[in-house]
Amino acid sequence: MTLITTTASRPQRKRIPDRHLWLLLALVGLALLSCLSLRLGLRPIGWNEIWASFVAYSPETANHIVIQQMRLPRLLAAWLGGAALATSGMLIQGLTRNPLADPGLLGINAGAALGVILCIFLLGISDPAAFVWVAMAGGLVSTILVFLLGGGQRGSNLRLILAGAALSALFLALGRSLLLVSQRSLDVYRFWVLGGLDGIEMQTIFALLPIFGFGAALALISAFHLNAMILGEDTARGLGLRTAGTRTLAVAAILCLCAATVSMAGPIAFVGLVVPHMARRFSGADMRWCTLFSALLGAGLLMLADLVGRLPFFGGNMQAGVMVALIGGPAFVWLLRRNERGLR
Amino acid sequence: MTHWTLRLPFISLRLSARGSAVALALALMIAAGALLALRLGTYPLVAGTWVAILGGGGSDIEQMILLDHRLPRILTALGAGACFGLSGAMFQTMLRNPLASPDVIGFNAGASCGALVAIITAGSAATGGTVLLGALLGAFCTAVLVVGLAWRNGLQAERLVLIGLGGGFALAALSDLLLSRTDARTAADMTKWLIGTLNARDWQDVTLVWAGLALLSPVLVWLHFPLARLGLPEDLASGLGLRLSPLRLTITALGIVLATLAVCSAGPLPFVAFAAGPIARSLLRNGQPALLGASAIGALLVLAADTAARMIVTLHLPAGVFTALIGGPVMIWLLVTQLRKGKL
Repeated sequence: MTLITTTASRPQRKRIPDRHLWLLLALVGLALLSCLSLRLGLRPIGWNEIWASFVAYSPETANHIVIQQMRLPRLLAAWLGGAALATSGMLIQGLTRNPLADPGLLGINAGAALGVILCIFLLGISDPAAFVWVAMAGGLVSTILVFLLGGGQRGSNLRLILAGAALSALFLALGRSLLLVSQRSLDVYRFWVLGGLDGIEMQTIFALLPIFGFGAALALISAFHLNAMILGEDTARGLGLRTAGTRTLAVAAILCLCAATVSMAGPIAFVGLVVPHMARRFSGADMRWCTLFSALLGAGLLMLADLVGRLPFFGGNMQAGVMVALIGGPAFVWLLRRNERGLR
Repeated sequence: MTHWTLRLPFISLRLSARGSAVALALALMIAAGALLALRLGTYPLVAGTWVAILGGGGSDIEQMILLDHRLPRILTALGAGACFGLSGAMFQTMLRNPLASPDVIGFNAGASCGALVAIITAGSAATGGTVLLGALLGAFCTAVLVVGLAWRNGLQAERLVLIGLGGGFALAALSDLLLSRTDARTAADMTKWLIGTLNARDWQDVTLVWAGLALLSPVLVWLHFPLARLGLPEDLASGLGLRLSPLRLTITALGIVLATLAVCSAGPLPFVAFAAGPIARSLLRNGQPALLGASAIGALLVLAADTAARMIVTLHLPAGVFTALIGGPVMIWLLVTQLRKGKL
């Protein structure tokens, strides 16, 4: 919490050029990473051919199919998923004023997992495409439960945190006991839960795009309000903020963004919890900038993780969810250790 | 609220009516639970024969069931639960964050990772001792690394939390990586260990966990006073004359030792360390860290989970599944009742 507030006491004027510079660098870096992500992989494809696959797509060329039906959906999924997770992480940390809050705390991931397990266990469905909407429904139900149990609009941060953690743990344990009972469910589920970007189809991404867009709009609005919220609820109310409305708005934004991500790519840890802290190192304390930087950094990190996991060194199939923590964990510690004067 | 003061020649104690009632109820529940757990099981052992068996009587099979199976298992469950509860409550109070239990901020990940490395390197020769050694080494290295990296002009709370978080995620990802790179049988062994089970505990485990608790309890009693003041804002705490950095270092070290003892004897059981503190605090409602209460709740939770796991023999569910299945509803029930009373 001091992390949020200490930067606010520094003089604003000095840092603004820094912030724009970082933004520019981040955008250039993202563009470069996107190009590399299309080019590299088990089968390196030349720039000319990548360009040709966009302007003159021919379904007979193998490389065109690889680019358009495998690498492009992955790239888009990494963009959307990384940005969505990191943004909602920033929102929940600002809302609860707790640096350890994770968007999964609202029960979205646990609910989605339970939904998928129930779907396999009761209905015997094993087609990953069907899981998208089941996971969405599970996440929705459990988030509403957590929100109500956390006191609804009148609730406090502590209540929301405790309710979310208790309900998530309960749902995960329920799911796990179902899995231990049924080997068949486990065989299907264990691929879903690893959280990866492979096998995502363009169709799914397009279907989820409105939800991502709606969530992003809500997130943008709540970022403006959360600037007052991080001062504490009483101060925020004194400044004229309707805290109950802000809480609902932020929870709705997190729900849209995370539910869409988890139903697209399975549960991916780390991005929602740690990337906001990284972003804050570059953006300063303003929640609007924080949210923007979180989105860019989250997208970049997930893309990088997916790219590295695809390289032949890792056997070409390391899950992005695992790689993101392997790369991001040490990077985060290094960022914290770095002399603060150099960065801020 | 009613209070009595107990005055002895060299010490005075203040007892509250609520605290005494809760303590009595918890003690009774633990005793009843332990006796019930001794009684329950596939082999019938009537309560009347226990004394005879303990005195050396009874048949060989009765001797074996009571002395080599049930008694060590129950004692290990109680000790490990108490350690989890204590460690969680200490970290939550010191870091002033209800989410900061040792499993969230990554110290358990070190022990798990160490145990996995031990299982892999030892291969088929892996015994309980090797795994234990691996877990101890892993936890020790993680603790030294995290505290060392977080130390700069003293130990700051959020630096410790964030560095622990980053390291914990990286270690958990490393565990996943190891898990995905081994053969199916070792992976099954490792998964079982990672969920946490109390199968086949012997007197070695009992001695480990209870000797640790007995050695550390004088320090805990001494720490109880400054720990209650660490919940205050930082400036106020140091204004009261507390030396924050040495105190935080001591508490961190102690908390890690307790968590490691618990993980080594029962595996990384989820949810216990997180839930014991809040449950105890909401029962006692005196604003204290409630270390004793948290240890009792932790012990009760693990005992209940293990007994449940033992009763449902046909399914072979590990105890780690039941900790959240039992603890989650308890916590939700507390939240709901408090919502009705308008508390929290």
